[in-house]
Amino acid sequence: MENNLPDHRKARGLSQQALADALGVSRQTIISLEKGRYDPSLPLAFKLSALFGCQIEDLFQPEAE
Amino acid sequence: MNTEQETKARWGRSRFGGSQATLISVSLLAGAVLSIAAGLLFATLNFPGNFVLATLIMAAGLLPVLSVGCWALLLDRSTLRGATKNPEISVESQWYDKAAVGVFQDVLLVCGLGAAVLSFIEVQASIGLILAGVVGLAMADFGVRYWLIKRAEG
Repeated sequence: MENNLPDHRKARGLSQQALADALGVSRQTIISLEKGRYDPSLPLAFKLSALFGCQIEDLFQPEAE
Repeated sequence: MNTEQETKARWGRSRFGGSQATLISVSLLAGAVLSIAAGLLFATLNFPGNFVLATLIMAAGLLPVLSVGCWALLLDRSTLRGATKNPEISVESQWYDKAAVGVFQDVLLVCGLGAAVLSFIEVQASIGLILAGVVGLAMADFGVRYWLIKRAEG
């Protein structure tokens, strides 16, 4: 799954640790998400979309086939 | 954030209240009582001739495990410094699940193959030791699998 999480995070001036703290997850989770190595669960995707004030599909897109 | 961190402790606090020191003391005390009880039972059943020594050895072996077990049961996780609020949606939870699934398959394989081989060859061994071996193998397997998954996906 592709994502533009780093852009959203940086646009809000958040560090990876600050975003992790805001979501209540480990910093490693943010690192893995941004590298595209971890597809978030629905609860985490909803938390991210609520935090950034956008839709889930604005953050995550399926990889082009 | 700082205030929140300051209210947290390295070893956390009990879900029933009290300080970090109280939690540690109660955990150690409960662990000691349970260890001695288990030691007494073990010695009574197995070594009535060396009752005191058997009790002490068994209690000493169980004390760390049971104390940590009591600490984990009594702990209010939200008071533990550095603990993530939502571990179930963190990537480590997924790594754990993947490693656990792999270990389950390995245990099935080892036990299945072991049972098949032992149906041909008669081996006299303590069931307790065999089970301890399987548990030890499963734990080591989990550690290796978790480390490999973390390296690949971290």
